[in-house]
Amino acid sequence: MDTLKVRDAKDVEEVVRAAVAGEQPLEIIGHGSKRAIGHPMVTNAVLDVSALNAVASYEPSELIITVQAGAPLADVQSLIDAKNQQFAFEPVDTSVLLGTAACGTIGGMIGAGLAGPRRIKAGGARDHLLGAHAVSGFGDSFKTGGRVVKNVTGYDLCKLLTGSWGTLAVMTEVTIKVMPKPESERTLLLRSLDDVTANKAMTAALGSPYDVSGAAHLPGSALRFGAEPFASLADAGQSVTLVRLEGIAASVAHRAGSLSQALSSYGTVESLADGASAAAWSALRDVKPFAANGALGASPVWRIVCPPAVGGALGQALARESGGEVIYDWGGGLIWAAVPPSADAAAVLVRRQVEAIGGHANLIRATEEVRRNVDVFQPQPAGLAALGERVRASFDPKSILNRGRMKRGGAA
Amino acid sequence: MSIMMPAADQAVLDRRGEIVAALRAIVPGEGVIDSAAEMLAYESDGLTAYRQPPMVVVLPDTTEQVAKVLKYCQAQGIKVVPRGSGTSLSGGALPLVDGVLLGLGKFKRIREIDFENRVVVTEPGVTNLAISQAVAHAGFYYAPDPSSQIACSIGGNVAENSGGVHCLKYGMTTNNVLGCEIVLMNGEILRIGGKAAENAGYDLMGIITGSEGLLGVITEITVRILQKPETARALMVGFAEVEAAGECVAQIIGAGIIPGGMEMMDKPAIHAAEAFVHAGYPLDVEALLIIELDGPSIEVDELITRVEDIAKGCGSVTLQISTSEAERNLFWAGRKAAFPAVGRISPDYLCMDGTIPRGALPKALARIRELSEKYGLGVANVFHAGDGNLHPLILYDANKPGEIEKAEAFGADILRCCVELGGVLTGEHGVGIEKRDLMPEMFSEIDLNQQQRLKCAFDAQGLLNPGKVFPTLHRCAELGRVHVHAGKLAFPDIPRF
Repeated sequence: MDTLKVRDAKDVEEVVRAAVAGEQPLEIIGHGSKRAIGHPMVTNAVLDVSALNAVASYEPSELIITVQAGAPLADVQSLIDAKNQQFAFEPVDTSVLLGTAACGTIGGMIGAGLAGPRRIKAGGARDHLLGAHAVSGFGDSFKTGGRVVKNVTGYDLCKLLTGSWGTLAVMTEVTIKVMPKPESERTLLLRSLDDVTANKAMTAALGSPYDVSGAAHLPGSALRFGAEPFASLADAGQSVTLVRLEGIAASVAHRAGSLSQALSSYGTVESLADGASAAAWSALRDVKPFAANGALGASPVWRIVCPPAVGGALGQALARESGGEVIYDWGGGLIWAAVPPSADAAAVLVRRQVEAIGGHANLIRATEEVRRNVDVFQPQPAGLAALGERVRASFDPKSILNRGRMKRGGAA
Repeated sequence: MSIMMPAADQAVLDRRGEIVAALRAIVPGEGVIDSAAEMLAYESDGLTAYRQPPMVVVLPDTTEQVAKVLKYCQAQGIKVVPRGSGTSLSGGALPLVDGVLLGLGKFKRIREIDFENRVVVTEPGVTNLAISQAVAHAGFYYAPDPSSQIACSIGGNVAENSGGVHCLKYGMTTNNVLGCEIVLMNGEILRIGGKAAENAGYDLMGIITGSEGLLGVITEITVRILQKPETARALMVGFAEVEAAGECVAQIIGAGIIPGGMEMMDKPAIHAAEAFVHAGYPLDVEALLIIELDGPSIEVDELITRVEDIAKGCGSVTLQISTSEAERNLFWAGRKAAFPAVGRISPDYLCMDGTIPRGALPKALARIRELSEKYGLGVANVFHAGDGNLHPLILYDANKPGEIEKAEAFGADILRCCVELGGVLTGEHGVGIEKRDLMPEMFSEIDLNQQQRLKCAFDAQGLLNPGKVFPTLHRCAELGRVHVHAGKLAFPDIPRF
């Protein structure tokens, strides 16, 4: 298969136009770190944007950065880190889960739209993408949004590009909001709660005025293979429930005191200081307990998003009925479920339970064979699916871009 | 009126009687209004310079009625303009002479308050403020707070992606809505998202928010609610020069402080506001900043000190810190009443809404002053300084021949200047009809065609709110055509591997 390494937006236009003329669907890649997510694609050539890797501008006092889509995420993160800023939505580093070498590019970060623990407070990738230049499946460069935070000029196509897995357009340059890093952080820790009780404790924390920026629960059985740093926080078989507070030191200390008191009915509240706290949340963000190189590395992994207050009951039922393991983020609103390997990755069971409570489930890790046979992305009701398909076709009528990635046996 | 709306369809107007009867069969009783006198109430929204009574007004009170009305109108080729409370400042709800005005005012019930999932499920006609009031007893509120929050509907907020002074820290409408029930122009009822943080598939909620009533009619919305911060305090800081105030804003953000709100007013705005509400604003400063910090008291006290130091370092000439809720509210009173206050010193005013990069503020204000002299019209500036959103208020007298045209030309020049400085045409009021013809200043034809193709995915016949947002309307079939660029199959120059 040909790999076309484009040098600028003009090249992208040319490649897409030629692909349209020749009806040759293209796979769009940066570093290829997330190629194993989605259905196996029906593509004839690879469009590689990794050479579009320049930082066009970074203005810390404007809280924005404009970068080309192929810029390595790790490099951009170090750049903004040096100014004590960050992407507040905590993009997931999928390399841990998928066993790839690096965490990919900025374009991949937006195209996947996978946000970490702070999503409950700061929003997701979709809330931080301010503007984009992209090439549609018509082979035309278009722009959307702008380089300012507050903007309602025209449709907000940034929202669609985020999480579209490269099926709408090839992003060439994006402007993303950056935020100051908190001066300090602290994590409150409860042990030995069952999933439903932990869900209640997290709901209480998130319903408090203490500005919680992370709320997670790791059941004992998910930690039994020694996933660090969590395993060291608990005795064998013990679960850990974590609640994060961030901000200026005096405020964090004050809120930690008040929240500990509010949560005292759930058990003894312990506390993790800055470094230990940060390590726990980055491991959770990257779903380290289900790491590709760990004991559960061969298990298919689902990413389930649901109403947060019912997450505990859902996860508990899923773990029990599938014989798998679950961990909870977003106060129960995000469940990562590792299920025993099988031909359908327990899709029927997972989807039935998740749909019943108004959530959705995407299969983030599975073998190619499973991804060929199971709907990777949550199937939608007919009317909504048809609208989604019309939206996709409005960007890429010939289905040239990442054909087949989001829809089993389909055009997208 | 100086803006071209889509040509009226005479065949539709000729069948008005029949259309009214058909709508009455769907929405019984007083839900259909066809008398000229009663329809006058709907002839304009918050952009009062533009007026046009609709062909007929229909006020459904169920989703099924909305679906039937839209399905009927699509089958009959009749245009539809949706309307919430009619507070749009960009003419988003301006009726069409041959169009049905679809009012959502009867959808005013909050359907569910779910504190555990921290959401409210509401009908679109509920006011923004009513949502906060409904959850206040448990310490919650709905964060986006447009100045019109007492009157504006949450449905309109979603359509316009409304902001407010607190969106610097808490986001705009799009960052605070999770799901909706929407009726497409063909009568199809769809549910998108819900109580979960993200919806499945493409982010359709994200595209519907801010679509200005061109994609569908929203009949239910799920919004996120937050716990109220423990406390809030404000600083009111005067500067002898606008540049110093701009520098102060940049330094606060640069120091990693995101205030709950950070507002600026220039001298004419300060004087108008002070004369109106007597908030104790200093009258001899060129720029006044109101900076609000919210959170736990211990945090607010610390940040107040840091901001105070920054302000002094930037050469502030007056500085007051609120010591009570009453004082904090007084600081805000003048800012919140700035529009009506300006209304007292000028027979009419036009409110603009561009956004610029924060750092470009002094340049933008200097340019606005030049334009003010050029056009011979006064201007007062209020400004969401934290996020670069400018609201120049252009003073004019509609009774003087030619003044409205002059004011509009002045406004258009301001918006062009915003785009030149790296900003955008509208930060929170929407494009509507007001900024429609300026869209090419910011977007190429290709950009606009891509947006219109998206509209085609929702409304293939272009019957929903036509004449808004897009300066030129194209047929969907024409937009959907793929032009095959022949002879470039070999990508001769592109490196291969």
